[in-house]
Amino acid sequence: MDQKTAIYICTGCGIGDAVDVEQLKENGTEDFSIDLIKDHSFLCGQEGLEVITKDIEEVGINTIIIAACSQRVNYDVFNFGGDKVVERVNLREQVAWSQVPGEEDTQMLAEDNLKIGCAKAKDTSVPEPFKAEEEYSKDILVVGGGLAGMTAALETAKAGYQAIIVEKEDRLGGFLGKMKKLVTMPYKELSDTGAADLIKSVEDNPKIKVFTSATVEKTTGAPGLYSVDIKANGNSLTERVGAIVQATGWVPYDANKLGHLGYGEFKDVITNVEMEEMAAAGKITRPSDGSPVKNALFIQCAGSRDPEHLPYCSSSCCLVSMKQATYLKEQDPETVNYILYKDIRTVGQSEDFYRKAQNDGNIFVRGTTTNVGESGGKLFVEADDELLGENVKIEELDLVVLAVGMVPASQPLEAPRIKAPADAEGADEEGMIEVAPDSGFFANSALNLEYRQGPELPTLKYGFPDSHFICFPYETRRTGIYTAGGIRRPMETAKAIDDAVGAAMKAVQCTEATAIGMAVHPRAGDMTYPEFNMKRCTQCKRCTEECPFGAINEDEKANPLPNPTRCRRCGICMGACPERIISFKNYSVGMIGNMIKAVNVPEEDEEKPRVICLVCENDAYPAIDMAGIKRMKWSPYVRFIPMRCLGSMNLVWIADALSRGIDGILLMGCRHGDDYQCHFVKGSELANTRLSKVSETLDRLALESDRVKFVEVGISDYEKIPEIIGEFMETIEEVGPNPYKGW
Amino acid sequence: MENKINYGPSFSEEVFQNVDFGEEIKMCMNCGVCAGSCPLREHMDYPPRQIFSLIRAGKREEVLSSKSIMLCTSCYTCEVRCPRSIPVIDVMHGLAHYALKKGYVPRKDTADFGREFWNQVYKIGRIDEKDLPRKVFFAGGVVNGIKATLNFMDIGLKLFLHHRMKLLPEKKIKGIASLRKMLDKAEKIGKGGTVT
Repeated sequence: MDQKTAIYICTGCGIGDAVDVEQLKENGTEDFSIDLIKDHSFLCGQEGLEVITKDIEEVGINTIIIAACSQRVNYDVFNFGGDKVVERVNLREQVAWSQVPGEEDTQMLAEDNLKIGCAKAKDTSVPEPFKAEEEYSKDILVVGGGLAGMTAALETAKAGYQAIIVEKEDRLGGFLGKMKKLVTMPYKELSDTGAADLIKSVEDNPKIKVFTSATVEKTTGAPGLYSVDIKANGNSLTERVGAIVQATGWVPYDANKLGHLGYGEFKDVITNVEMEEMAAAGKITRPSDGSPVKNALFIQCAGSRDPEHLPYCSSSCCLVSMKQATYLKEQDPETVNYILYKDIRTVGQSEDFYRKAQNDGNIFVRGTTTNVGESGGKLFVEADDELLGENVKIEELDLVVLAVGMVPASQPLEAPRIKAPADAEGADEEGMIEVAPDSGFFANSALNLEYRQGPELPTLKYGFPDSHFICFPYETRRTGIYTAGGIRRPMETAKAIDDAVGAAMKAVQCTEATAIGMAVHPRAGDMTYPEFNMKRCTQCKRCTEECPFGAINEDEKANPLPNPTRCRRCGICMGACPERIISFKNYSVGMIGNMIKAVNVPEEDEEKPRVICLVCENDAYPAIDMAGIKRMKWSPYVRFIPMRCLGSMNLVWIADALSRGIDGILLMGCRHGDDYQCHFVKGSELANTRLSKVSETLDRLALESDRVKFVEVGISDYEKIPEIIGEFMETIEEVGPNPYKGW
Repeated sequence: MENKINYGPSFSEEVFQNVDFGEEIKMCMNCGVCAGSCPLREHMDYPPRQIFSLIRAGKREEVLSSKSIMLCTSCYTCEVRCPRSIPVIDVMHGLAHYALKKGYVPRKDTADFGREFWNQVYKIGRIDEKDLPRKVFFAGGVVNGIKATLNFMDIGLKLFLHHRMKLLPEKKIKGIASLRKMLDKAEKIGKGGTVT
């Protein structure tokens, strides 16, 4: 595109008082060919905008640089159409509000910011959205025909899209279909499960295709372009879908591991699932001899919240036990039910059902089970009563029900074993080593994805598929595939319905966005996608392995094969590539390099250090803006350069910066680790790992490795920004100016 | 004498049937707000929450011979804060009555005070500030009575100086006959009268 560039400087919001605008116009644009530079006192107002639109019409301006407020605000105002390049230079939050007005350093900062903006605009082209050669599908595949699956399909159909359900059992319903009754809103009493009605509405719906006794053999492709091979009842068929909702649900924790609670030893010790099945089939009796149940005891947290079994709480077992106690009371009002618990967890409104259970006369005992035994044909349970500080023995029990927890269907029954790498400990005689189930892979796959990174959805903890649970709970680490219900986390039915609605909505959004070339969240609406200059590719596969979303496969020639619709446009691949062959239309290694080179580096004797701060746009940049909004102040020597994700940082920028005489590079990214906040899951972590390789290079260049620092910043950490910058500037003062200045 | 814990319904049922609002303690979830609010908890052997736990655990002896049930002053702090809306005051007083009925006297002075209070109200329809303490103090014998009187000397003097206590005996109230009818009826339906 033949660029006709115009710069508009807003002098409102205190910018005009903080900097000398005329000087800014001159110094901020040297080395760049700018066709037009104007300033206005209220650029986002109607009059100010008209100035811009007039120039676009009359002069043919197509590249607009707005030097005003932060890029995070007024993006709807400064929108001049998809065929224009709009660049935002932050003169407000990061200059006028956070620096001392009128100072020389403030002026230099503003000029550098403008120069950085000009450099960015120069290398930016208008994005052309990706369009695949094949036709896009907007159908939604729902794997799993339980409550979550059926609800997702119904919601999809209601929204006007075709849904396809693949259910591995011979009928729909899942665990809902096996229940006798339900406890759901308003939690005052038992309700009918509604399974029969739900199944009928699914089967009668013209926009839902149902395959029972069916499994997914293989899934190839990408969002909008999935090709799914289904084996149903012995027949094979292929469906093309746009997005997938995985609602494959849960299985109960294996009670055979609960021998210490009497399971397997005594016939009358059963799990809550077995109890429910017995209740749904008719009458609840003693499994050993069919005699009536007069006294029953429920052991809560059986194998849950226990580091030796399931470390987590399954959130619904307390309610289930109360429900089953109610079954017994309905069957025979004289039944005595004991509920032995660690804590009672009836979340939210469901507390009302706890009240009902107490009102009905069920006896709640708080304690830890120490023994389950038999005496005279009846069972007894011994426990440490926590409230009274004594041992209690509850005798003459006909039935003991273990409230076991929920395990996702993706958790393999046994920890997988792989060939042990050379330096690993704990390998057995065959050289195989057990892999920790939550190392991110080796889950049971329901989709059998043909992705180079593996056929399953990566897990984070306890076998549940990884998703950024704060911002985007339904999405997984595979774009276009959304989880709902018990597979995502243990939950009760009311929550599972909510979940399914959310996942269906996300799946539909995905198909629509993909069809017009837009990215899905978090970079929703982004029309760019990574382009590969394969000629210089060395096939190292770093991009392929580091992509958190498995967007890159491998072709026959061992080159990476990108799937643009799987891509979340974070740029982590761009940061990983040592040959720098990956770029976006408005974001590339060269562009950031030019932005860094645009910064004016004063001579050593002027004693004005220069620090480049690469800032993640998702959490760190808003934190800096907020600090500016709060009028906090920090060093004027720092130049902020926003990144899509810190994972897109390419190490060559550090080399570039240091060789130009920049004294230090500060990297601000989101939190990573188990409790991560990184919007692209692995970006922040990868940047940190890459930095460890940089310290070797720095030592070789005789530069102090202190000059490069990584800081984790959460979006609410804004009050720490001045401290973080201040500390880094102190370090830079200590190590002294970069010896490569002026070279 | 202590019972072993028995969560079976026997004692709970006894309480549910014989104690005022006794069945409300089913709703107790052992949060401890009542114990935390009670101004007398330091003098109690078992705070209210624990009384309920003990009832449910079948600890009959401990509950009926506990001082706590006699110490409740009806300040209502616990009852307004109870998240399960349990009428703690009624239960505590109900337990005290039941205990006395069953022959347990956990705290003799409280029992004596209650009895004298009721008798005096029955007799003259009001409280005589010097008569009631006299009866209560000397209920424990002459020596105790003199000791207690000397203890309360300064309060007594202040009451006298502020015209709250008369030297001469108090007169009966006007409608004493109808009051006695009401109190008799209450006793008949089991909601009144002295136990000891």
